Amino acid sequence: MVELNITPEIRAQLAAVARVRWQLFVNSLRTIRGRLEFASHIFISIGFAIGGVGGLVACGAGAWYLVSHGKSEWLAAIFWPIFMFWQLFPVVATAFTENFDSSNLLRFPMGFPAFFMIRVVYGSLEPATALGSLWLLGIAVGIEIASPPLFLWSALVLFVFATLNILIARMIFSWVERWLAQRRTREILGVVFLLFMISFQLIGPMMNRYGNHSHPQALQFAHQILPFQRLLPPGLAATAISSVARLDFKFGVAALGMLCGYCLAIYWLLSIRLRAQFHGENLSEAAAPAISYKGSQIARPGWNLPGIPGSITAIFEKEIRYLSRSGPMLFTLIMPVFVLFIFRLTPSTSGKSSGSLLGRSSDMAFPVGAAYALLILTNLVYNSLGADGNGIQLFFTAPIRFRSVMLAKNFAHTGVLAFDIVLVWIGVCLLYQPPAAQIALATLAGIFFALPANLAVGNLLSISSPKKVDYGTFGRQRASNTTVFASFGVQIVVLGLAALTLLAARAYGKIWLATLIFIILAAIAWAAFSLVLNQVGKMAFGRREEIIAELTRAS
Amino acid sequence: MYPPAISTEGLTRRFGQLTAVEDVNLRVAPGQFFGFLGPNGAGKSTTIKMLTGLLAPSAGRIEILGLDLVDNAIEVKRQIGVVPEGMALFGRLTGSEYLNFVGRMYGLDRETAAKRAAELLEFMQLADQPKKLVTDYSHGMQKKLALAAAVIHGPKILFLDEPFEGVDAIASGTLKAMLQRMISRGATIFLTSHVLEIVERLCSHLAIIHRGRLVAQGSLEELRAGVEAQAAATLATNEVAAGSTPGPGEKLTLEEIFLRIVGGTRPADQELSWLS
Repeated sequence: MVELNITPEIRAQLAAVARVRWQLFVNSLRTIRGRLEFASHIFISIGFAIGGVGGLVACGAGAWYLVSHGKSEWLAAIFWPIFMFWQLFPVVATAFTENFDSSNLLRFPMGFPAFFMIRVVYGSLEPATALGSLWLLGIAVGIEIASPPLFLWSALVLFVFATLNILIARMIFSWVERWLAQRRTREILGVVFLLFMISFQLIGPMMNRYGNHSHPQALQFAHQILPFQRLLPPGLAATAISSVARLDFKFGVAALGMLCGYCLAIYWLLSIRLRAQFHGENLSEAAAPAISYKGSQIARPGWNLPGIPGSITAIFEKEIRYLSRSGPMLFTLIMPVFVLFIFRLTPSTSGKSSGSLLGRSSDMAFPVGAAYALLILTNLVYNSLGADGNGIQLFFTAPIRFRSVMLAKNFAHTGVLAFDIVLVWIGVCLLYQPPAAQIALATLAGIFFALPANLAVGNLLSISSPKKVDYGTFGRQRASNTTVFASFGVQIVVLGLAALTLLAARAYGKIWLATLIFIILAAIAWAAFSLVLNQVGKMAFGRREEIIAELTRAS
Repeated sequence: MYPPAISTEGLTRRFGQLTAVEDVNLRVAPGQFFGFLGPNGAGKSTTIKMLTGLLAPSAGRIEILGLDLVDNAIEVKRQIGVVPEGMALFGRLTGSEYLNFVGRMYGLDRETAAKRAAELLEFMQLADQPKKLVTDYSHGMQKKLALAAAVIHGPKILFLDEPFEGVDAIASGTLKAMLQRMISRGATIFLTSHVLEIVERLCSHLAIIHRGRLVAQGSLEELRAGVEAQAAATLATNEVAAGSTPGPGEKLTLEEIFLRIVGGTRPADQELSWLS
């Protein structure tokens, strides 16, 4: 175990890291791109702040109600969502997550306690910790108003609960970092994460199905799991507070003791990883054994797409190979089918209680699946140079126009979308019913409009705001803040317009009208795409230094 | 009369207030093995980036094989091969896929690209692990693969930015063999390197850049003669201590020439006195 005494030397080192992070931030503002990133960051932060303050008020009001009405054991119902958010948000919403890399601190004369503190403190500077802490503060205030004598004890319990959340989040990331360091484990982990995410999407439909009080089995199940949840951190925190509220101090102290026990266990698991890193653990890929291959296996020619120039075919092949070697990206691409499956789990006809769009309107399954496929594709389209890394230089030294490079990438992404839409169509046929010809036609016309609009904006953003990414990793930002912010706007306009058109046409029973409108919009969108494509060469040439600098920098 | 393989006129590059390269006039004849030297931060990489189209000059003109680089960018790029600073590799392809890809980017047909990729992998001793991704290659293997990619289309001029940096003796031998083979077939090679012994052994002509300005250019013998003449002149005025010029029959090494031209000495005893 580590002695976490904050000596003057540790304090100086923490301050030095804080100063260097501040300097990095200030230096990033020297470029227009850096300033744009900062502006986008402010807008995104405002969104988080609204969520944080809203949650603070809601949690505070909830805690006040439960404590003042003598139902403090139900505080677990507030702790559980906070706990889940705190741990899952950094993993699921990678667009807002930046895993702090402290490996280059190892060369300094720094003891393990300082290294541990830096990893924990600076690694926790992320939205989930800020929001979680804010919500716990709301609970403390709510308890203080409801029952002032309970405040100090509750504050202690909440502090331990917050510390535990921070430690668990850091522990998860440090172990994930270990597994991500090697390609094979990285991709296995990617699959596990996606399955995990999918399983959470199943909670909603399951709640719909079993949440109804008329299901006695569900109630029985809830009673069975209640004692178990009390043994887990959110349940323990609630028990610690509610026991003291009932003047059962022995039980309250025991619950807090168990919470502290969790803290120590997680701290121990975290320190195993951090100690290994502190001792200069080498996580490089192990060399694969040499196998002799026949010449014919090496000399396999590249792909051939009839009528497509060789250089464009080569980039198309490269893009598809990159995607096919990325477990996380592959699973992301089949997500639309999973979403349809999840929607299918909701009751399609259970009277007025049906809360599912597809439950009531199964004819909309194909448009919804196709729209989701397009949404998923924006992961690739809006930062299409991001995975090229050092290879980007080849596109500027080879005898190829950048317009052709972007065209080839757009071509590959269109192919991926086409594949995805075929999957969605099969999924809809199997899970619902084959989509009506009119709806299918309107959907394809809608995609025919939304695709070029997204490709055009994607090409512009890929050149103006590229970000180096690794398709094989989780937990790192996939696009710049500017891109994330801009893509929200584009999706609201493009998909919103498409949805409104389709729903209005459906309401009037004239789906063909939506098809017609989409075809007109598609003509405009393709013209815009063509205009943008003709400009990207010039744009990329003018911005080549910034693009190369961003994509070739050490990650 | 053939045009120079590479020529620049008043080549200048500024980054804000900083002038990284100023008024550089280079002339490299076809078939030369040309070494471009300079201390760290002198402007070597900036110059090679401008010559290969990775960076736009602030002023000046670049001609490659008699073609203006700006006006004939695509035609010029067809004739050159480049190993840039970051090696321009695509990490999630295998070596064979990468070479096939590069070959087709340079306009080779599928079969030719595949055949040359296989030959290059054999030559570079990279053929025994065809399933291994480039990202999993060692640094030396990546350097060899980057050189293989730069020559797959048979370029007339090869630009190499620090090709021997971080490369072991075995890999270095393979790289040198490849480069000498190209020179013997009439190609022009322009390289930057800090390994002066290798440059001295390989290069027929040199240029030295210092603080963004070209301070010397010519064959090794011409540079040596220039430095020796200057040393003799300063010796005549008693400004240089005896022993700092070569004795009779001794030749200055490239390292000595380089240090004299860029002035790489400092009165170390007066500085950093706190060092133990």
